[in-house]
Amino acid sequence: MAASRRIQKELNDIRTAGLKSFRDVNVGENNILYWTGLIVPENPPFNKGAFRIEITFPAEYPFKPPKIAFKTKIYHPNIDEKGQVCLPIISAENWKPATKTDQVIQALIQLVNDPEPDHPLRADLAEEYTKDKKRFFKNAEDYTKKYGEKRPAD
Amino acid sequence: MFLLDFFWSLWESITHILTFSRNPQNNKLSIHVKSNTGSSVDVDLDPQWDIGTLKEAIAPKIGLPADDMEIILAGKSLDDSTTIAECDLGEQSVLHAVKSHGQRQRRSRPLNQIMSDLVEENDATLTTVSEVPENQDSVQPPVADSEEKQQKNAHFYVYCSVCMTKSTGNPATPLKPKEGKLRVRCFSCKSGAIQLDSDPASWSDVLEPARVSGDCQEQGCSDGPVAWAEFFFKCAEHVPKSENESAAVPLYLIRANSRSTPCLACMDVLDTVVVFSCAHTICLDCFNDYMTSKIRERKFVLDDNVGYSLPCPVGCEGSLITEIHHFRLLAPNLYNLYQQFATEDFVLKSGGVLCPHPNCGMGIYPDDDCNTVRCTCGYVFCKRCLQGNHIGDCDNAVDILTGLSPSYTIDPSRAAQSKWDEASHRSIRAGTKPCPKCRTATERAGGCMHMVCTRCDFEWCWVCQTSWTRSCMGSHWFG
Repeated sequence: MAASRRIQKELNDIRTAGLKSFRDVNVGENNILYWTGLIVPENPPFNKGAFRIEITFPAEYPFKPPKIAFKTKIYHPNIDEKGQVCLPIISAENWKPATKTDQVIQALIQLVNDPEPDHPLRADLAEEYTKDKKRFFKNAEDYTKKYGEKRPAD
Repeated sequence: MFLLDFFWSLWESITHILTFSRNPQNNKLSIHVKSNTGSSVDVDLDPQWDIGTLKEAIAPKIGLPADDMEIILAGKSLDDSTTIAECDLGEQSVLHAVKSHGQRQRRSRPLNQIMSDLVEENDATLTTVSEVPENQDSVQPPVADSEEKQQKNAHFYVYCSVCMTKSTGNPATPLKPKEGKLRVRCFSCKSGAIQLDSDPASWSDVLEPARVSGDCQEQGCSDGPVAWAEFFFKCAEHVPKSENESAAVPLYLIRANSRSTPCLACMDVLDTVVVFSCAHTICLDCFNDYMTSKIRERKFVLDDNVGYSLPCPVGCEGSLITEIHHFRLLAPNLYNLYQQFATEDFVLKSGGVLCPHPNCGMGIYPDDDCNTVRCTCGYVFCKRCLQGNHIGDCDNAVDILTGLSPSYTIDPSRAAQSKWDEASHRSIRAGTKPCPKCRTATERAGGCMHMVCTRCDFEWCWVCQTSWTRSCMGSHWFG
């Protein structure tokens, strides 16, 4: 199967690269199509914690995009309560088979660090983010401290 | 298994006796030599022979002195010193022996070698493959190999209707392209006894007839010395049953990966790849995965000029595959689906409708002035909403099929089926909304309210059931 060969290669590349903002990459038992990993944002207000995500690759990968979901609750205009995230690079109409998971993760980290209130999944948070940034930062930081995972020591 | 082994060892001993101590690679080749006067002889050739030896051997049978003879293969008069092995002949190939025209001695090499050179100089225009040694698996002594000039032959990949339509067992297994050979014949009389005036310089020269001129030496050819050439391909993987067997179709996007380009999908560097017109490269396995995933999603494109096709997986502008025989590599069951979808999409695009009755799907071009369509399966439906025939507006459709249609008689088994259909009908009605453009029942399994019809690509709003607008985006994008 082409999918698993490519995913194995991408997994090796990502592990070798040793990204600071994406760590702890684990692969489902006997299922390379399911990954989990830890997003470690650098920008406030999300730099008070870390966020567990899961990446699910379809059997038709790379002709269909992977899906990303947050397992850790996060106070973010582009990520909804169920952990669904709207990431243009992996939407069906933008997806290119040559796009690598590494690029997808970079785009995700970028989105977490800098929310895009123009394309929100949670309109209330987007509004707060644009109209009262201070309050948004406070709420998001509290939320991150309460629900976020511990950041790795190094 | 035992029996097979027995025959195999028997075969090996026979070939051993026949070839004595000669290199076992040099099996004899049975070929036909045709003269331009209509006579034809069958010869068994030793690949080590050169053309001069061949001329001597056939001269008495053909009735032409060897000095006065030219041997033509694939548009080229072969030089006396060329060996048979260099000509890339297959079993039952046809050579043409013609009377020499005197001084017009052209320095010629076989077409396949010329094509290889052409590719190296001008590799954007032609697809070729340098010859892979046939006994790749056996370990060859490297010294012996370096002695011999490495044979360069152009190989092509083809769709062969003889080899590839045979039932190969599992209909879910993708097909592999066959190796093909390039040949040429006279455009007018179809004889192979033609000598090219110049070599083809591009793929267009090869794919379109009458672009390269030649000298047809077939007696009775009306064009004679001012003939046009017509290139064609033959499958290299089966012995032709007759000379008039239909030509193989060149799958010219498939080529040897001479530049070691990694596949854009699996990132491996593989020997055989598909190179799109935009230069994006994908390996054969991934190409099949790509076609498979697109046909299952019904995402092929119906193009007026090309037909039902696919662009490169990156979606580059103008990268549609123009030779749709490339899709013959799909597993046979998926190729059936390809044909079905292509036909249906053509009917819909050209103003027809498909009968909505389960297991029918007949393509019908309805009359312009009447909404009622009667299918040959007996079902009568409204062409606008594709529901059972009704009176009045489509929205308040009342199924009047039962009872009102005078020609309708109720068959008990049919009635039972109708009931069942009615149940699934109801659940489809409850769980789906029709695409505002083509009425395809659409289920929203999740995500936002922005729907893109899988059948007609129309972008619509799940809430408004009209086309998707900025105001939909503003007020109820995510519900």
